[in-house]
Amino acid sequence: MQMISMRKLKFVLLSLMIFITMSEFSPQSKDPDEILDGVKEAFKKIEDYEVDIHVKIDVDFLKVPDSEAKLYFKQPNKIHVESKKFALLPRQGLDFSPLGLISGKYTALYEREDTIRDIPTSVVKIIPLGNDGDIILSTFWIDQTRNLIIRVESTKKPTGTFTIDFTYEKSDDHYELPSQMEFTFSVDRMMFPRGMDGQLDDDDDSNKISNSTTGKVYITYTNYKVNQGLPDELFETESNKTK
Amino acid sequence: MMTELIKIELYKIFKKWRTYIGFIAIGLLVAIIQTAMYFEGQKSLDFMTRNLQDSFLFVGNLLNGFFISYLILNMLTVHIPFLIALVAGDLLAGESTAGTYRILLTRPVSRLQVLSSKFIAGSIYTFSLILWLAIVSLGIGAILFGYGELIVIKSSTVIIFDRNDVLWRFLLAYGFAALGMSVVCSLAFFFSSLVENAIGPIVATMAVIIVFVIVSAINIDVFSSIKPYLFTNYILSWRLIFSDPINTSKLLNAMLILLGHIVLLYGVTAFIFKRKDILS
Repeated sequence: MQMISMRKLKFVLLSLMIFITMSEFSPQSKDPDEILDGVKEAFKKIEDYEVDIHVKIDVDFLKVPDSEAKLYFKQPNKIHVESKKFALLPRQGLDFSPLGLISGKYTALYEREDTIRDIPTSVVKIIPLGNDGDIILSTFWIDQTRNLIIRVESTKKPTGTFTIDFTYEKSDDHYELPSQMEFTFSVDRMMFPRGMDGQLDDDDDSNKISNSTTGKVYITYTNYKVNQGLPDELFETESNKTK
Repeated sequence: MMTELIKIELYKIFKKWRTYIGFIAIGLLVAIIQTAMYFEGQKSLDFMTRNLQDSFLFVGNLLNGFFISYLILNMLTVHIPFLIALVAGDLLAGESTAGTYRILLTRPVSRLQVLSSKFIAGSIYTFSLILWLAIVSLGIGAILFGYGELIVIKSSTVIIFDRNDVLWRFLLAYGFAALGMSVVCSLAFFFSSLVENAIGPIVATMAVIIVFVIVSAINIDVFSSIKPYLFTNYILSWRLIFSDPINTSKLLNAMLILLGHIVLLYGVTAFIFKRKDILS
């Protein structure tokens, strides 16, 4: 009886090993680097742009009024934000530059085909090499017909996992640029250090806030001006250095 | 008649140099805090918001006049009581010390009118001290830092108020702070009716406040049960105004409790003063 069990166990283990080996070394139906290069090349056509952004933040421990700002971008990764009022912007994906999202050395793996909001996409996983960056693993849903990133899901240390969903429309200059971005992130309930007065205000509803929560930031992009030749000095101004 | 009496009492209050100690102290403190914040404020603000800055990019100026005024209001409403007691403790006991009680009460006015005029004058002093705090905080804040959105950091939440949504909150908060300080004024006024020297009421008022604040701060079950009955527990309730949404029932409750203390302390003082045997 015991012999049969051992045989069964050996068979299951052997089958598992064969399956894992087969899936690891099976030829990929699509070249992930080719997919990513297509996205990068398509975005390189946009040398710079300026756009009005409307930011809405939906995080239960954060009550912030909607803000308006102007975002300036210049290749490869220069960003400048101007706002008449205070604006809180997500650090990730704000400029939606694939060069920023897919930067450094990495290993890319084509995973599967998927459909996001009725758009057929190729799913590519990226594992960054080296210990320099904060990103541990990223998954991209890429619309190969337009070479656009539709969704990004990344795990970052120490803040955790975030997802960015992009909705595109053609700008007046016929460039396909995002009209909306939805940034979803999971965060642990933040505890803030004592204030400068040495005491913190009591939180009326601190007990109502769970320890872990999902936050969302919605950014609407309007009035694109693409390839206007933005000067480099614009990206060296004081407001750009604002944390 | 009452107006004349109040004018006389105000003249007596503002004739004494000690009255101006409060105004000078507040002016100096606010200037010192504002200067320190001018040089070090950004570092402190960055420290307070470092968790948030891991995920978000801050664009704009949060270190502004509103933020500094909010901090100052937090710091000073705990320490202003001494400056209030300094004047309110002298309102009745001062007459006794100066030997002017009998002359004052021989005039054709009732004791209650004399008492009320002194109480109203003391309250006017209290309100003017808070008004001064508001003027120097917001005024110097505007000159040094300008205005912008107000960030309020609580233990587990952060609220950023639009700049157009802040001033009315400050006006209400200063009003509420004045109400809280009026309780201190009433307490010192009450102690002032019991003795013949101003030092006693000042020390007694501060002793009560210190004991109440310490009892409120210690998290022991026995103290927790008496905490709701201590007026010091409601002095900082103006912070509720900087919430979104404002817990109006809690705010009104705090206002009523503070008003109740003022009425009660004034009532007891009137009762004692009407029966007081004036010997000086």
